[in-house]
Amino acid sequence: MIGYYISLAMRSLRGTPILSALMIAAIAVGVGASMTVLTLNYMMSQNALEHKDSVLYAVQLDSWDPNQAADTANEIPWQLTYPDAIALLRSDIPTRQVAMHRFGFTVNIDESELRPFTANTRVTTRDFFSLFDVPFEYGGTWNKEADTAAVQSVVLSKETNDKLFGGENSVGKIVKLNGEPFTVIGVLKHWNPSPKIYDLNNNPFADSEELYIPFGLHRKFEIYSWGNTNGWTSRTAEGAEGYERFLLGEHVWIQYWVELDNAEQREAYEQFLTGHIHQQKEQGRFERPLKFALSPPSEWLVLNEVLENDNRVLGWASLAFLLVCVINAVALLLAKFLRKAPEAGVRRALGASRNAIFTQHLIESSCIGVLGGLFGIILALAGLTGIRVLAMGQADQIAAMNWEMMLAAVGLAILASILAGLYPAWRISRTNPSVYLKTQ
Amino acid sequence: MFELKPMLSALWRNKVSALLIALQLALTLAIVSNATVIVKDRMEKVARPTGMDVGNIIAATYMPIPTDYDMAGAVIADLDLLRNTPGVLDASVTNQIPLSGSGSAGTYFNEPNQEIGGENANYYQVDSHFIDTLGLNLIEGRNFTPADEHVVGPNDRHHSEVAVISKQFAEKLFPGESAVGRFFYAGNTDKPVEIIGVVEQHLGAWPGWSRAGNVVFYPLLVTDNHKRYLIRTEPGQRDAVFKEVEELLNNRDPQRVVQVETLSKNLERTYIGDNVMIKVLSLVMALLTFIVALGIIGLTIFWINQRTKQIGIRRALGATRANISRYFLIENSLIAGTGLVLGTAGALIINRLMVSEFSQPTLTLPLLAVCAIVLLLVSITAALMPAMRAANVSPAMATRSV
Repeated sequence: MIGYYISLAMRSLRGTPILSALMIAAIAVGVGASMTVLTLNYMMSQNALEHKDSVLYAVQLDSWDPNQAADTANEIPWQLTYPDAIALLRSDIPTRQVAMHRFGFTVNIDESELRPFTANTRVTTRDFFSLFDVPFEYGGTWNKEADTAAVQSVVLSKETNDKLFGGENSVGKIVKLNGEPFTVIGVLKHWNPSPKIYDLNNNPFADSEELYIPFGLHRKFEIYSWGNTNGWTSRTAEGAEGYERFLLGEHVWIQYWVELDNAEQREAYEQFLTGHIHQQKEQGRFERPLKFALSPPSEWLVLNEVLENDNRVLGWASLAFLLVCVINAVALLLAKFLRKAPEAGVRRALGASRNAIFTQHLIESSCIGVLGGLFGIILALAGLTGIRVLAMGQADQIAAMNWEMMLAAVGLAILASILAGLYPAWRISRTNPSVYLKTQ
Repeated sequence: MFELKPMLSALWRNKVSALLIALQLALTLAIVSNATVIVKDRMEKVARPTGMDVGNIIAATYMPIPTDYDMAGAVIADLDLLRNTPGVLDASVTNQIPLSGSGSAGTYFNEPNQEIGGENANYYQVDSHFIDTLGLNLIEGRNFTPADEHVVGPNDRHHSEVAVISKQFAEKLFPGESAVGRFFYAGNTDKPVEIIGVVEQHLGAWPGWSRAGNVVFYPLLVTDNHKRYLIRTEPGQRDAVFKEVEELLNNRDPQRVVQVETLSKNLERTYIGDNVMIKVLSLVMALLTFIVALGIIGLTIFWINQRTKQIGIRRALGATRANISRYFLIENSLIAGTGLVLGTAGALIINRLMVSEFSQPTLTLPLLAVCAIVLLLVSITAALMPAMRAANVSPAMATRSV
């Protein structure tokens, strides 16, 4: 029966080509616009660490200005001061912990044709790779002592290894960073999560770093941050001079994550943080009320407003647009079905039940939905291409459709067209056959 | 004379279709008016003057490879080379590139040792060529002279005794009075900085920042591990000079990595998010209006087809063509009017949510009225073609099929 209804539907669509084209176009445009924006919002809300959501936490401590709360969503600075990070690293409660920030080096290798280049670098403790599930192609991370002592080791991203060594196993080779020799101890597989959840305050949609170096090198290379460094007071690290004054100062620039596997561990760690803040208060720091936060990845994404207000506005606008398209389709379907009322009247007179008439017309509107959905995918792909161009290469990873989103597009189109078809199909199935038989 | 009574009873028979059209128009007005106010706001933001000769400026960043590098010496030699390059008007050294999204900010007070009530501003460490290189308009006081310039190490405590600031920031520090010759304090210190000049406008590193336009320039050269140059070219020479800069600097000294960009590209990149909003919302508005117009055309044609016989009878009974067209146009205007009244309420409710939930701008009544009038015109235009066709129905139709 369904096959017959579909062929009836196609014949009916061909019978009124302009009206059918109008309806298909309305659904296609509505679905195309919504899917463009929804794909973007969906890709921007991805959580690459979802499987570790119950054990990973971003750490924030409120070391800010006693006169004014920090200008963040939860009024605690996003990052820690270096002295606090060092104090926290001494705790052995977390299973893993990472203190890190962004930096940059010039890179070259001896006896190479390759022109020196600058590389985005992550300065981090050794647990970075295991905590964030970063896969290694060759080698591995550095030893524990490199987190506190100046050990010139480096882990290369796959792309950097391809560029410098043509993709071969480069473990043990020497790379010059700012002219100083570093030994390659590991090479990563391709790894580029988007949004870059481990570092949301330096453009969450930027690429991952090209180099990774140990956290113990700050003093040797006088490393500053290439990310945000925020301070609130000029009276900082009094008594210290030179680079130490920056390193020990009261400004925040270190990102901090911990892995706590169960409730006891978490409780112990909260006590540890409370103890640390109390101790600092005695030394005249942390003048604000005691406050810290441990946020799992899903909450961290929301706190950092990775999905901005503008994205939400566009999401709602596109759904409202689809709604107008659906109402438009209801009006047109109603007109079309009523015009065919005599046909339905004849079918009813020949014994078709109201349900049969209803089903037939609903199937006709679903056919419009399928066609509208297919054209909608094409429009959404065009829309996403447009967004990639507008974003000047900054949205290449997020403005892309996967199979799930394409299926969702057709699903949305069918849902929209069935919603649009419900009332007109019901209305036509209620018509009194005798009215139409009389005028024949 | 407008045949209102028969019109209303005819509408009542087709109430669902009429309601659907009205509803579409209501939603369209609600969306279009809210989108218009956002688009207008963003266009004004993008159109703000930067204060700079953006189209003719190139920025170069260099990082030396050796750790013990003579930054100050290199800067003097590089600037000398750049300023003597054909096509270059002037060149300057700076710690940050304007409009790049990368910059520094501080809190400033007009009294020493203050803790609260400071004003935030973006700051730059530059030289005496900076104002000319960017094409900034010095409206009061004087530019830096080479005597004001100081070289400091990356870890030194540095403090400049003089500064040039933007007019917007001057008005915040010293409202209603001239700032030149006055002093301010960077952070909670007791070291005064004298304001020697005021520039008309400069958007700074982050045009999207709530305090964009608050800017302070210091005549300092901090010898950290990278430095940036700004190069202003003669009009039309930018692209030719752009190709040469990296080679030029590398030939003078190959021991470094040089990256070159243009301020125009930075400016474009700064407004990506606003441009996406402007383009996407404009497209949504255009498509929405188009689809609603198509819907009105489709439905009016359908109604006219249904009422062909009735039209024929009216024509036979003496109604003129104009009467028939007018009938359908007024009918359409009644529906559209109802929809737009509903839409006005909807637009105001949605705007309230937009303001409170998504920090978008407030919808003003004149703007809403303009949107409503445009939609009314669109709907009348859409109904016009079918209504004219209806007038062509021959009076003979009345006699047929009886």
